[in-house]
Amino acid sequence: MTHTDPRAGDYVVATHGLSKRYGRESALEHVDLRVPDGAVYVLVGVNGAGKSTLFKVLMNLERPDAGTAEVFGLDTGRAGPEVRAQVGYVPERQDAPYRSMTCARLLRHAAAFYPEWDHAYADHLTRALGVRPQRRVGGLSKGETRRLQLVLALAYRPPLLLLDEPTDGLDPVVRRRALALLAEHLADAPTTVLISTHHIHEMESLADHVGVLREGRLVAQMPRDELQRTVRSYRLEVPDAWAAPRELQPTGLRRSSAGRDVQCTLVGEEREVARRLAATGARVRQVSTLALEDAALAFLPEDPS
Amino acid sequence: MTAPAYRTAERRARGARPPLPRLRSVLAEQVRATGHALRGPALIAAALLALVTLFAASQVLSRGVDLTLNAWPTQLPGLMGALLPIAVWARDERFGPAFLWTLPVDRRRHALTKALAGWVWLMAGVALFVLWLLAVTSASGGRALPPETLHVVTSQVAAAGPLDPAALRTVRWAPGPLIWAVPFTAATATYLLGSALVLGSRHPLRWVIGTVLSYVLSSIASEAASAQLRAGWLDDAPGRLLRLLVDSRYGLDALLTARIESLSNPAALTTGESTIVWWGVPDLADWRTATLLWTGAGLLALWAAASRHRERRRA
Amino acid sequence: MLVTLDPRDERPLYLQIVDQVRRALLVGTLRAEDPLPSVRELAGQLVVNPRTVSQAYRELEGEGVIYVRRGQGTFVAPTIHPDRRERRALVRGVAERALVDARRNGLGVEELVTMICEVAAEDEGEGSPSASAVRPGEEEGAA
Repeated sequence: MTHTDPRAGDYVVATHGLSKRYGRESALEHVDLRVPDGAVYVLVGVNGAGKSTLFKVLMNLERPDAGTAEVFGLDTGRAGPEVRAQVGYVPERQDAPYRSMTCARLLRHAAAFYPEWDHAYADHLTRALGVRPQRRVGGLSKGETRRLQLVLALAYRPPLLLLDEPTDGLDPVVRRRALALLAEHLADAPTTVLISTHHIHEMESLADHVGVLREGRLVAQMPRDELQRTVRSYRLEVPDAWAAPRELQPTGLRRSSAGRDVQCTLVGEEREVARRLAATGARVRQVSTLALEDAALAFLPEDPS
Repeated sequence: MTAPAYRTAERRARGARPPLPRLRSVLAEQVRATGHALRGPALIAAALLALVTLFAASQVLSRGVDLTLNAWPTQLPGLMGALLPIAVWARDERFGPAFLWTLPVDRRRHALTKALAGWVWLMAGVALFVLWLLAVTSASGGRALPPETLHVVTSQVAAAGPLDPAALRTVRWAPGPLIWAVPFTAATATYLLGSALVLGSRHPLRWVIGTVLSYVLSSIASEAASAQLRAGWLDDAPGRLLRLLVDSRYGLDALLTARIESLSNPAALTTGESTIVWWGVPDLADWRTATLLWTGAGLLALWAAASRHRERRRA
Repeated sequence: MLVTLDPRDERPLYLQIVDQVRRALLVGTLRAEDPLPSVRELAGQLVVNPRTVSQAYRELEGEGVIYVRRGQGTFVAPTIHPDRRERRALVRGVAERALVDARRNGLGVEELVTMICEVAAEDEGEGSPSASAVRPGEEEGAA
């Protein structure tokens, strides 16, 4: 269920049929990602779904097997440096470079590559995120490295932020602070954000677009309002031997022991869903909206195996 | 909002894109960062030099000899050049999604810039080394690279056995001023080759060990083969290839020492003395050509290695 | 001003903010000329895209509820007093939501209205805390 707008020119990030395989596994398959200008787009998917590969293609760290990717209208393969000059990237892995340098020295190093680096803002971010400037980079904990990477990505206010699991490795208190800092950061200059995460719930309020990646395919991509409108939890009264209609993508099905009381998550506009359900003999007793995380999970496989 | 933030916001509102960094500032920063990374090896080198100085001083003071610099111990700058890439690229990942490649610089150019930054420090190191040699030499009262009298072998003589002094002629040889460039060019050439290896392969050490092993194995094999097949030409073929690489007219030794090493040997005379005997007069023209050849090869190799990291452009 | 967002509320986030500002005005926690947090501050507090906050503020500004004093920030309009229109808008919102909820549960309009009156009567009779502590409109003479 993807609602892609063919006018790729309005999008900060647009991929066209992007595919990438590693051996037999396909990390990305015909992905048509569309990130609108100024959006906070949250990309959701299980481990290994291809989220990090997508980011690497956008940064031209990986070459796709098929398809193209554009950032600000620039082809990521042909205009790698120009694209990267406009992007703040937090990678999935947590090794920082130049382990013998202090954090402050590393920041000055990065500053040489970005003419719009704001030293005062970098100091502010360093303090706000609790990064100790005089610590050697090699001696940082996982969480502190992550926070340093956030400072590295934000300090020059790039118009696009590519954050691959930015809160990974951070404890809960710091996570919230980091996200609040990100929200404030967005207020200073027009910025588009593409975040990949496992923890959808903490992005609930920040996200305004959601994309779901499942086994390399983009199975859903829409504004959050649409997602919350079209994915709901239904409490149903059903006849015996009732099965949920497949086209409504049922997930989370729970049946009472008698089999006549069913709760499940269905996809579709409410009226349409009610109509189809009525056609199968089910009666809608109650409909509830879902939090963003639960709504997005409706597109992910239920069986972890 | 800070002042830069305001300016940035204004620029963005006008639709201006963030600019790419200037090559000058990238190079300057790479030189600084590389210098930072080389502090460790530099300290070690300084410590070693201090030790050698002490040793030399003790020798001079106890035995009253003066140290004359007859020829550059250029194997050292050569070795320095070959090993420096390991320190320059030490923990920097070259392959995979490294921080280095996420920066807004064309990747091949960036790799070359980093190699260039290392070379700058290499030249500084070699210069210091040269100065140190001169200082030690003059402090002990010796001279640096004075004109010499060479005993050159005139005709074909048996390699073994003492030599008849009559078979030698004396040649007065003054190394031209270009000889001062030798340590620098030698180090540069070996640095280029070393950088190419480190930059171009994921596991450079495996290549080194592999080459040594294959040399050893092929020597054994060629010896066995030549014995079996009675093909005399096979005998020691790897060895001859190696000697070609090192001792020939434009070989490694020409690059490193202007062939001073390979052309001279201590030998015993029939009169009972032993002296240094030369098999030819070192010619700086040989060195020039060798330098050009090896440096050219190094540049090509480095370019190829850096190209391995180039931005993938689709056809 | 305290704004809290309900992740399960189906209304767009900006609308939630707008409604909460309106409510604060009605209840009296926000008064004329009170300062509002800047877009940046509120975005950080709520962890939302600042564009959402801007959108909310624009909507409120368009309705004359708030205004921007150059260089100083955003403030509640001086002439604002919770008037019938505001009240009506708020009540309408509540009614709409209740009706949707009723419809989903298969309940009719009359049933709902009757039950509302019943529950209200019970509450008043018992003086239970389900009636809100501050009765809106009682503080200032509703103008």
